[in-house]
Order: sequence, then structure tokens, then C-alpha cells
Amino acid sequence: MEAQMLAVLTRVTKEVFETMVFAPVEALPPCDTLPPASGPGVIGTISFAGSSSGVVSFAASLESAREIAGGMLGMSPAEVQDELPDAVGEITNMIAGSFRTQMADEAGAWTISTPNVTIGSDLSVRHVGAVARTVCPFVFRGHRIFVELVLTDPTRLPHAERQEARAC
Amino acid sequence: MRFLVVDDSSTMRRIIINTLNKLGHQDVLEAGNGREGIERLSNVGSVDLIITDWNMPEMSGIDFIRTLRAMDNHKNLPVLMVTTNAAKDDIVQAMEAGVNHYIVKPFTPDTFKDKIQAAMTK
Repeated sequence: MEAQMLAVLTRVTKEVFETMVFAPVEALPPCDTLPPASGPGVIGTISFAGSSSGVVSFAASLESAREIAGGMLGMSPAEVQDELPDAVGEITNMIAGSFRTQMADEAGAWTISTPNVTIGSDLSVRHVGAVARTVCPFVFRGHRIFVELVLTDPTRLPHAERQEARAC
Repeated sequence: MRFLVVDDSSTMRRIIINTLNKLGHQDVLEAGNGREGIERLSNVGSVDLIITDWNMPEMSGIDFIRTLRAMDNHKNLPVLMVTTNAAKDDIVQAMEAGVNHYIVKPFTPDTFKDKIQAAMTK
């Protein structure tokens, strides 16, 4: 299940960037936790619930997020100001929504939340309780960006099959 | 021709409006959810095509379309839904609510233009 979920998440992220940002991303091997952020950054999150439950999140530096928003909106990164939170929310929404759709045959129809976006410096995310986190790193214009899948359903913890943590 | 774009994401509204502008359509109204969409229609009378999202606060795209279809003056108004909801059950639900055309995000500009033109010619 983990391998399938990660393959789908990687595929839909690539599709979103190619079609809506007009810039390809290169997928790197999955790892277990987001690396510590240094400097300003953004994180978009969407929760899902159904046969599985959890969170899909998107994380990038502020600089990368401005480039992404500019690509979507036809603006230069320097022009992107108030548009940034909504654009990050929409990228997160498209990744999570496409993930939901492409997992529907296997996992049934999940309900997904509206996106939440956090902008700040040195951001880190902690989850309370038993969760399994898997991060899909990508390279976007020379910078690393991250899509994370957090599963909160203990019967589907993907890490149960694995003995060693994978560093990002 | 006049369009009404209903989406809670200002990013998606801008992407859609930019595409409509490139197709030569400048008369575009905006609304942030279904309830605002109903208000805009009440103010202007009618439009030629509605482009709406599905998941929105206050009034979803599905409830918006159901409301339109229950109104004598809007029951035949063409509606294009733009959404990430693309499971079979989603599409069936949307068509039963009264959606005429459906496009799944993410989409290429060419796909979107084709859908707009198809919706305009029917």
C-alpha cells in the first residue's frame, strides 16, 4: 500500500507542476521526516478521512513558493505578495485532490478538508499520537520542495514493513 | 459574452480569468462561493456560462448548481465544473446536480480552452 500511495503522490505532484506551474519537478527517493527548515518557508496542509485518514502537506522555502505562485499566475516571483497563501493552498489542494481521485478505486472516496497554509521561519511540524510520515522530496529549479504523506490510521502504518528510518 | 467564475481560490479565479481574457472574453464576474454566485446572478440578471469549483465554504458548487436548476430563469444556464473531484461517483453526482461540462484539475491551458469552446458552442 505504501509503495502505491507514494507512486501516486509522486505522479500527481509531477502532473500538477507540469500543467499548472509550467515547470517540471524531479522526484528524489522518499524519506521519513521533513528536514529541519532554516529561514522563511511555507507549508500547506490538507486532511483526508475515509478508509485511510491522514494529512497531505506541501512544504517549500518562501523563495521557491514565490516562484511557484508566479508560474501559476503568470507573474514574476518578485510581484507575488498577497497571492502567496492562496496559491500555496491551491497547489496543496490540487496535489491532495488528485491523490484522492487516483486512490479512489483502491481506497474508496475520501473526504478532504480545505487547505491550511502556514508562512513563517524555521517551520517544523509535529503530530501527536501514532502516525507514519513519509516525505517525497522533489527538485524544483534547483531547490528542494517536499510533499509529505502522514497516515494516522494505525492499521495502515506503512513503516511497519520497514526496520530503518530513511533520512531526507 | 458574460461569464461568472465561482471559486473560493483567488488563484484559480485568476488562472481561469487569464485564460478567458486570452480567448478574447473580457466580461467576467467573480464570486467566492455558491451563495455569492447566486447574489451576482441576481444583480446582473444572467450570464452566458458559469464556471464553478466544487469544494467551497458556505455553499458548495453542487449546492449552487442545484439551487440554480430550481430557479426558472437559470435552470438551463450552461455550467462548467472545474475540480479535483474526479472519482466516478463524483462525476455522477455532478451530472445529476445539473453540471453540463466537467474539467479535472490539474489541466493544461489547451484542455481548458477546448472545454470552454465546447461549452460555448452547445
